[in-house]
Amino acid sequence: MSTATSVHVTESNEAIPVNNPRFGIFKRSYSMAGFGKFMIYVALISASAFFLFPLVWMTGTSLKTVEEVGQRQLNLFPEVAQWGNYTKMLNDPAFQLAYGNSVFVVIIVLLGTVTSICLVGYAFSRLEWRGRNIVFTMMMATLMLPAQATLVPQYVLFHQLRWVPGFNPIAIPGFFAGGAALVFLLRQFMATLPKDLDEAAMIDGANPLQIWWYVIMPLSRPAVATITVFLFVGQWNNLFMPLIYLKDASLTTMPVYVAGKYNLQESPIPWQNIMTASVLFVIPVMIVFILTQRYFTEGIALTGTKG
Amino acid sequence: MLDQPKLETLLWAFGTIVFIFIGSILVAQIARAVARGFRLSPAEQLKVYWGFLFASPWIIGFVIFVVGPSLASLYYSFTDYKLGKDINWVGLDNYRSLINAEGRDGRNFNRAMFNSLYYAIVGVPLQIFAALSMALILNTTVRGVRLFRLIFYMPVILAGGPAILLAWRYMLADNGGFVNLTLGNLAESFFLFNWLYRGFIFLVEGFNGFFIGLTNGNPTGPLTFFLPAFVAFLIIISLIRGEWGDNKREIARRAIEMIGFLVGGLLVAAGLMAEPIDISWTFIWSLMVLAGWAINTHKGHATRAQLWQWLGLGLLIVGFILTLITPVPEGVEDATLGYLTAIAFASLPILFTLVQKIDHRVFLVFGALLVGIILIRVAPHQLLNGKADVLLRYMTFQSAVVQPDNLDYLNTEYIASYMDAAWLFFILIATLLGVILTKSAKLRQYTLIGATVFFGVVMINSAIDGVTYFRAYDHIAQAEGGSNFHFARFNAATSTVPDMSSNPKWLTNDLWVKPSLILINMWSAGAGMLIFLAALKGVPGSLYEAAEVDGANRVQRFFRITLPMISPAMFYNVVIGMIGALQTFEAVYILRNNDTETSVMSAAYYLFQRTFLQANIGEGSAISWLLAVIIVALTVMQFRYSNWVHYE
Repeated sequence: MSTATSVHVTESNEAIPVNNPRFGIFKRSYSMAGFGKFMIYVALISASAFFLFPLVWMTGTSLKTVEEVGQRQLNLFPEVAQWGNYTKMLNDPAFQLAYGNSVFVVIIVLLGTVTSICLVGYAFSRLEWRGRNIVFTMMMATLMLPAQATLVPQYVLFHQLRWVPGFNPIAIPGFFAGGAALVFLLRQFMATLPKDLDEAAMIDGANPLQIWWYVIMPLSRPAVATITVFLFVGQWNNLFMPLIYLKDASLTTMPVYVAGKYNLQESPIPWQNIMTASVLFVIPVMIVFILTQRYFTEGIALTGTKG
Repeated sequence: MLDQPKLETLLWAFGTIVFIFIGSILVAQIARAVARGFRLSPAEQLKVYWGFLFASPWIIGFVIFVVGPSLASLYYSFTDYKLGKDINWVGLDNYRSLINAEGRDGRNFNRAMFNSLYYAIVGVPLQIFAALSMALILNTTVRGVRLFRLIFYMPVILAGGPAILLAWRYMLADNGGFVNLTLGNLAESFFLFNWLYRGFIFLVEGFNGFFIGLTNGNPTGPLTFFLPAFVAFLIIISLIRGEWGDNKREIARRAIEMIGFLVGGLLVAAGLMAEPIDISWTFIWSLMVLAGWAINTHKGHATRAQLWQWLGLGLLIVGFILTLITPVPEGVEDATLGYLTAIAFASLPILFTLVQKIDHRVFLVFGALLVGIILIRVAPHQLLNGKADVLLRYMTFQSAVVQPDNLDYLNTEYIASYMDAAWLFFILIATLLGVILTKSAKLRQYTLIGATVFFGVVMINSAIDGVTYFRAYDHIAQAEGGSNFHFARFNAATSTVPDMSSNPKWLTNDLWVKPSLILINMWSAGAGMLIFLAALKGVPGSLYEAAEVDGANRVQRFFRITLPMISPAMFYNVVIGMIGALQTFEAVYILRNNDTETSVMSAAYYLFQRTFLQANIGEGSAISWLLAVIIVALTVMQFRYSNWVHYE
């Protein structure tokens, strides 16, 4: 560091030839020599294979027959794709019930949580009020507090409210801006918007509620999308809470359903059924992820670099 | 479409919205009234009103779901509350039985904590290594980087759910699982790969066998000496190398502080248990506080020294009160008096420092106290039990394991109870103090050389003891015809070097479940990768250019520029990774087997199993508080010792 700053080369950025191969993998604006580039591609593609493989394996297995699953073999895909596995699964009432429950819970949680987080994030970024720093510090302190500390007494609370078993313990707390990390993310984003906007609206006679709705919210769409995706993925995958709170068979959500498909008592284990349910379970997450990946990947960078 | 429970939830949701609406206005009004009370201007009052109006959904939720439950759970943790039954106050019984591993599955709490620590200490660095490698490959301008970034990140969103974990479970099956078949085929085809593969298996089994042996309790004796001696050795060596300056003082001071944290925590825990705490630990703690005072006044930082003193005194008082109010459990020797004596001894130097009329002669007092304590410790109690023999052996560096065939002898608390790690720390701190306070360079040199020799000998001695000890255990395990001791398994893993026939038993063997879980965590390390990528993009290219002009090669540029520049991202990933590791749940739930459960379960899984499957609220609250304290302590320590992080 000290050697670098003492040379004072910060101004010489343009002087470096763009095609200088000597800057290796550390320089962004360059084009590499052929072999280096080839090696990078080899690394990228083999790593991608490692990352994609479980998904491919899952899909392949879901199309196999029981016999094929039982064999010791390395075939990724079956000789004849058994699409019947899917129609059978889709017609299974237990599956339909679990899927419906999952969709219901996710919708309620998303509506409540996203709205409340937007309100709170606005209060912490655009409004200036006495006590803001204290309240904000308290919120950041809850990030340190592990979820386990409140899990047990919350269970008692919900039990006394007669919410167990039921969707309420999962759906209702979200309405209170659950998730300090996401509030923080939105706050970081909203803080980057120019201050003039509020002032202009204020001069036009808008109150904070109107500014929030007509000025800030439309501009914060990327951050709100990020939060929504985070919440969606987190809630869709959530296994712990449903295990505790949705113990009734009619309340089962997809994660519990999929996890319950794997049963050690069965022999041979019907992997093709388990994987069919898994594929159907993963599809919504994959679609949302691919559609919103731009927001998603940038949103995480926002939490890390500014934190 | 909507059945009864769903309608009910919709109604509750609507009610909640109304509740938040009214509650928010109330909170905002109250806030404004308070602001008026503080005589703020009307414009400021309005700002307060709007601010609290918008923030109150979180404030209300915070009170209902965080503050209230936290207080309630603190109360529950002192009771035997089970859902649907009466609440009885049981004091510290929950904590005591957890830490003392009482009851049928008693050791499971310790195992779960150890497993979580394993994920944090072994898993997190590997995860970060994976994330950093991915980020470095992606930080190039080849075509399609965005697509690859998408693929690298994808596992993160899947790994939280059961579906992909089940796919992993299928792929990792022992017999006919895809991973093992592929690896086996590769190993048969390529000699070099086979060699590496066997090496990998040997490494994993050896390491995990050793670790499992540790977590199962018994064969830890030699290690309680080896580790502190090793740490001390490293600290002393780091002091010997390089030039003398403030840097050395800083290292010594930090070392003392770090040990101070650990010992202070141990003291409070011991107070909770009202165990006959070893007098030497309280003694070390007080010495540490004194050291903090001596060094800091030397450097002119008196306020921080005072903080340490008050902290130390506070901890001792907490221990004192807890010792007094906690009833002695049945079947345990009443050691309250001994404990109180120890605390009284330890309070003396702290009280000295509070008076602030102290000079270096206080160390003479310490010397006298030390002699006195050795006398109290060794005689007459230890002598009467015939244990002084072992202490003498240890102090004269002979092997302490004299009767390897005698199981009873090994199962008594080994030499740990005769010369325990506290003494090593005590000697270390005395050395460090000597280094800090001595003005004569020659004396300093002698101190350091003496300490190096001492800790070197203790290290070698305890390593030899360790080997003897492990052999003895193996011997006994064979004699009993079973593998009750996990060290038999460790020996099996290490004796056939390398095992040419078997493949990894990923999910069915105690030695492999934790590595399996870490493998999956490495597969889904993409979140860390994105943070590294953002940090790498922020490193100015001019730094590399300047370094290259100065003749730095690629490796130097990486270690001297890239790593320091991305150290904030590294720090963030370490903290988040550690917290995540202690809370691992989903992967454990999906990957566990009945026979490997105790080897894979994390603290969060243990909490789930004990509390929610058995509705045991009292004990569950105690578990969650212990877990919370550990997580917060780890995080605080990471922030405290984060001087390797460079902020711009």
